[in-house]
Amino acid sequence: MIANAEALLKPLTIKGLTIRNRVMSTSHAPSYGKDGKPQQRYQLYHEEKAKGGIGLTMFGGSSSVALDSPASPWNQISVADDSVLPFFQEFSERVHRHGAKLMIQLTHMGRRTKWDAEHWLPVKSASATREPASRSVAKELEQEEIDRIVADFAAAARRCKEGGLDGCEISAAHGHLVDQFWSSLSNQRSDKYGGSLENRMRFGIEVLTAMREAVGDDYVIGMRMSGDEMLKGGLTAEDLIAIATEYAGRGLVDFLNIIGGQARDHIAHAVSLPNMAFPVAPYLPVASAVKREVDIPIFHAQRVTDLATGARAVAEGHVDMIAMTRAHIADPHLIKKLTEGRADDIRQCVGYGYCIDRIYIGKDALCIQNAATGREATMPHVIEKAATKKTAVVVGGGVGGLEAARVLAERGHQVTLFEKTDKLGGQVLTAAKATWREALTGIPRWLVSQVQKLGVDIRLNTEADDAAIAALSPDIVIMATGGLPHKGHAKGAEHAVTTWDVLEGRVEPAGTVLVYDEIGDHNATSTAEHLAKQGCLVEIVTHDRLVGEDLGSTNQPVHYRELYKLGVMMSPNLELIEIYPEGNRMIAALRNTMTDAEEERVVDHVVVDYGTLPVDHLHFSLKDRAKNKGLIDDAALVAGRPQPAEINGAGEAPGYTLYRVGDALAGRNIHAAIYDALRLCKDL
Amino acid sequence: MTPAAFLPYLILAMVVLAGLRLGQRVMLWRGGRAAHVDWMAGLKALPKRYLVDVHQVVDRDKSASRMHVPVAGGLVLASGLLVLGLVPALAASRLYWTLVTLAFLVMVAGVVLVARRRYPQPMARLSVGRWQRFPIYLAAFGLGGLVTAGLAAIGNPLPALSFVTLVIAAGGGLKLAFDAASGPIRHALAGATHLVAHPRPNRFDHDEAKGRSTGLQSIDLNAETLGAKTPSDFAWNRLLAFDACVQCGRCEAACPAFAAGQPLSPKHLIADLAAASSGGHHRPYGGHAYPNERPVAGEGGLHAKVISPDGMIHPDTIWSCTTCRACVEECPMMIEHVDAIVELRRFQTLELGAVPLKAEEPLSHYRGCDEPNGRALAERTDFAAGLRLPVLKPGERADVLLWLGQAAYDLRGQRTLRALIQCLQAAGVDYAVLGEDERDCGDLARRLGDEATFQRLARENIAALGSVTFNRILTADPHALHVLRNEYPAFGGTYDVVHHTAFLAEMVAAGQLTPQALSGRAITYHDPCYLGRYNGETEAPRALLDALGLERREMARSGKRSMCCGGGGGAPSADIPGDTRIPDIRMGQAKETGATTVAVACPQCTAMLEGVTGERPEVKDVAELLWEAVQASATAAPRDSRKAKELEPA
Repeated sequence: MIANAEALLKPLTIKGLTIRNRVMSTSHAPSYGKDGKPQQRYQLYHEEKAKGGIGLTMFGGSSSVALDSPASPWNQISVADDSVLPFFQEFSERVHRHGAKLMIQLTHMGRRTKWDAEHWLPVKSASATREPASRSVAKELEQEEIDRIVADFAAAARRCKEGGLDGCEISAAHGHLVDQFWSSLSNQRSDKYGGSLENRMRFGIEVLTAMREAVGDDYVIGMRMSGDEMLKGGLTAEDLIAIATEYAGRGLVDFLNIIGGQARDHIAHAVSLPNMAFPVAPYLPVASAVKREVDIPIFHAQRVTDLATGARAVAEGHVDMIAMTRAHIADPHLIKKLTEGRADDIRQCVGYGYCIDRIYIGKDALCIQNAATGREATMPHVIEKAATKKTAVVVGGGVGGLEAARVLAERGHQVTLFEKTDKLGGQVLTAAKATWREALTGIPRWLVSQVQKLGVDIRLNTEADDAAIAALSPDIVIMATGGLPHKGHAKGAEHAVTTWDVLEGRVEPAGTVLVYDEIGDHNATSTAEHLAKQGCLVEIVTHDRLVGEDLGSTNQPVHYRELYKLGVMMSPNLELIEIYPEGNRMIAALRNTMTDAEEERVVDHVVVDYGTLPVDHLHFSLKDRAKNKGLIDDAALVAGRPQPAEINGAGEAPGYTLYRVGDALAGRNIHAAIYDALRLCKDL
Repeated sequence: MTPAAFLPYLILAMVVLAGLRLGQRVMLWRGGRAAHVDWMAGLKALPKRYLVDVHQVVDRDKSASRMHVPVAGGLVLASGLLVLGLVPALAASRLYWTLVTLAFLVMVAGVVLVARRRYPQPMARLSVGRWQRFPIYLAAFGLGGLVTAGLAAIGNPLPALSFVTLVIAAGGGLKLAFDAASGPIRHALAGATHLVAHPRPNRFDHDEAKGRSTGLQSIDLNAETLGAKTPSDFAWNRLLAFDACVQCGRCEAACPAFAAGQPLSPKHLIADLAAASSGGHHRPYGGHAYPNERPVAGEGGLHAKVISPDGMIHPDTIWSCTTCRACVEECPMMIEHVDAIVELRRFQTLELGAVPLKAEEPLSHYRGCDEPNGRALAERTDFAAGLRLPVLKPGERADVLLWLGQAAYDLRGQRTLRALIQCLQAAGVDYAVLGEDERDCGDLARRLGDEATFQRLARENIAALGSVTFNRILTADPHALHVLRNEYPAFGGTYDVVHHTAFLAEMVAAGQLTPQALSGRAITYHDPCYLGRYNGETEAPRALLDALGLERREMARSGKRSMCCGGGGGAPSADIPGDTRIPDIRMGQAKETGATTVAVACPQCTAMLEGVTGERPEVKDVAELLWEAVQASATAAPRDSRKAKELEPA
């Protein structure tokens, strides 16, 4: 049990609305909206949190109230017309059924969006300024447009109430229209909306006043805002506390949802959505400072990844509700597990940022470690027991193998896990050695605790072979043997070492190092940072247009910030074509991918990352004897159906079925390995 | 005169001697406080109390009942017959002496059985010393009498031998009579008187509807001395009760604190109290020392303080008690050990403030917050936010008043309560709670000796309960159940109180809840002391578990003879160290059944048993198991509804 748990489990009543505990999920955009509506996938995602005991779940981060704030970026929700009402009603019923409350965030994005979205309308703001993050230049709003947007907010609030939602908040954080008016960086108007802070506050006051008139005094309306933009020329803590006290004092808002920072450009965005490089709850003091000044409840999110931290924040009076948004993406059953005395079973968010990073490149939010999140229609958060108990062997104790062992054991099967090293966790343990990537160890740590608890027979320092597997007479064999790094195809590749060699300490480079990356993920960038911190002079070279091209928007800026600080040279658009020794140094020959011009570097070491190649010799030695020839039926897998080899009586035939998951198939990432294992094993 | 003819005079001498000796004890008893005793009713009830109530307990140990019937029966019969021998016609009758011989023969047979429990090696729980010598005097009297009477029956052929055996009989008999004040035989005379003048006469009623007479008796808070400082502060019939102890050690064998190596043995305690009242020393004592015995002066006196390192009994001894009543349940002499311990605690707490260090906090919280954790009463319903939990305002009514108790403040207890509330909802029960008008029932305060706090809470709760209307009080806490049912009537609050296991069993039997079988799971049920022993409810929880299709395995100690979890009577607050922990012992017994789940029905038991570390069965309240089964039956039917098709925009 955690300290101060009772503080989290105390209900909070706001205007007659009683939220059953102090844990919530803030509005965010998982990109699950469909046609601007929260449909089945979106609803099931939040329903799972409601089932899991959450007090309040807020959906629809940046739900738009007007046509000139398009909903299609991040597949968000449009509250601009009444067609959303039936979805709201169904959504509310679905969440209320489990005792949780449901609210939405309403906003007009102003300049923080795209003009080339569904309606092809120009983006609009207080003034004609550019937002670095969206690269949009706004049209200045005219008075009639301001009045119309104010009315749009009021109409949207009415839709929330009619849709049965328990309340709503407006976003005045992350650089949306309301706070674009507040900030003199984006508001250079000379009319009643510009100039003094009092004038700059006017638009938001008009919005909230109109919303109040539309829904009455008893409906809960809050506001999300920053407590300190932490930006040169931006709104200071004093400005924002003045705004908070003014808005709260006028009775316009029933709660304030406080963030630290804002999101006008890449690094600000990354700082406001802190990843694993940041400490836990880095901006709690910002929320606490606002709490001291106002009399209404304060909500706060931002990397509160564990209940103990959340409980401390509430118990010590810093905030009234603690938002554990990403923590619920990793484990939607947080509160249920706490109240059931199973807090040790909580899968804790590691701050990978995979969920949010995906939506900024047009994909759906997925959890790096919980493959069921966002897939509630097909993937279970609680694994059902199998009808018959089987014997299963899992080869490989990386995250894919651990997930397979976990799911099979949850199914009630007798599971034996072979791991040839003395540790469970596989490649993740290697990746976690690179500076701030250390928190990655949380992923295998949870999986290991689960398989141990479930009684999986774990055989460390044991390499599986035909005989060892046959001795167990398994019904199912899962190959999760992972991959090993390779040195690529450049001439003289044998002179290179891999990022694995560096992180696992097999080589300890000194002097000048060229890190060559053909993957574009964390591997090479974090190794470059690691080497630079060891005192090496590092150049990171990549075939791609950018260093770390596949890194998402909450991670790439942090990598860049660290690499710049350490003086690492970043050289994109270059391909490594040859390595050869000269004296006791190396020459790396590079080709510019755009011009074909060749250039050379004289370095002490060349470190390469070409990803991994599968370790599959054991698989191929078993393949012919397996009932399914070691093949996965992709159609069944994708549809979430049991594998054909397990049905129609095939399961009862003697012998075993054999499946491969994760990098043993092809080198990919943590989520791929875990999803491979979950969706296959849940039906075995 | 033949030697046998002296036997009736021996009996008369024995009666006189015993009467004189016992008179000394009577004088001591009179030094206790006055007590109301209905002598006529007691005397009328004596045969049944002895032949039914006492015998039922004695008979649990067959070797004891088989020994006691002939030895006591033979002794009484022979003595009675011999008194008739004063009639000259009988004294001359061979047939008469044959009958006397037969009576002695029965007694001697009994003495042989007595001796076999003690020689060559006495049973572990029995006292030695004068108790070990007791069979010798019995044998002397019995054998001497047997031979003397036997020779008379065949015409007195060996007068010299008869004389010798008469002397032996006289020696044994007079020693027995002399011991009536301080020896083992005291148990018979004091015991019989105790049965007549028992301080809880209605414990013999056997009317389950009236309860089991297990509630503590209240005291007048304006009395000069609160609780017992000296033996003279006990009611006189309590002093009598201490003298009735036969030192059979059944209480000790059942005592969880003794088993855990805490410095408590109920047998030793009663022996000490009996010795203290007559100014004796705690030595000699023929039983085991208190485990990890704390040093005491060991000097007693009718007006000397009892509980003190300078007195007879160390304070740790009385604070080790869990008030589980296992000793009372096992006592063939119907002694009320727990009453004595609480009486002693009352003086320590109310007069001296000398409570164990860790018990200060709950008692202090009680004064400030009306509950022992220092939490606000309004927070009691926090856990149920999101569940429907109607709060009764004064004047309102509900069929069932749900008494939440301490469990509502505890994360673990809340799980049980949530399961119970969900069951009530599923069964369509009209229930409500008192909300912040529910104060703690006062169980812990009372058992820690803080009678003042208990009485205040009782009155305030009774006032709150009187302001609303309901038919029954339902609670998942046997301690609250006990207090509300058995201890509030003394303050004017009489309620129909039902434990959740009984209530839920009713719901299932009536078809209001339809659980699906939870087959394939072996469980063992741990009886809470305050439900089973205190309130006689052992069947409803078992019936409910059976209705869930669980494979029920019984621990060696179960039902009314179950073993305590260690959580009652403020023992966790007192926290007197021993060699091991009571819940560890109890969980060990649960493990021996091979069950994978220990079913519990009390928040204290849940907390204590779940506090056992290492590999162990899981601990689930009966309500949790039922709710699991009810949910299973609910989800069994419409399973595919969650896989609804993509929603159509309206």
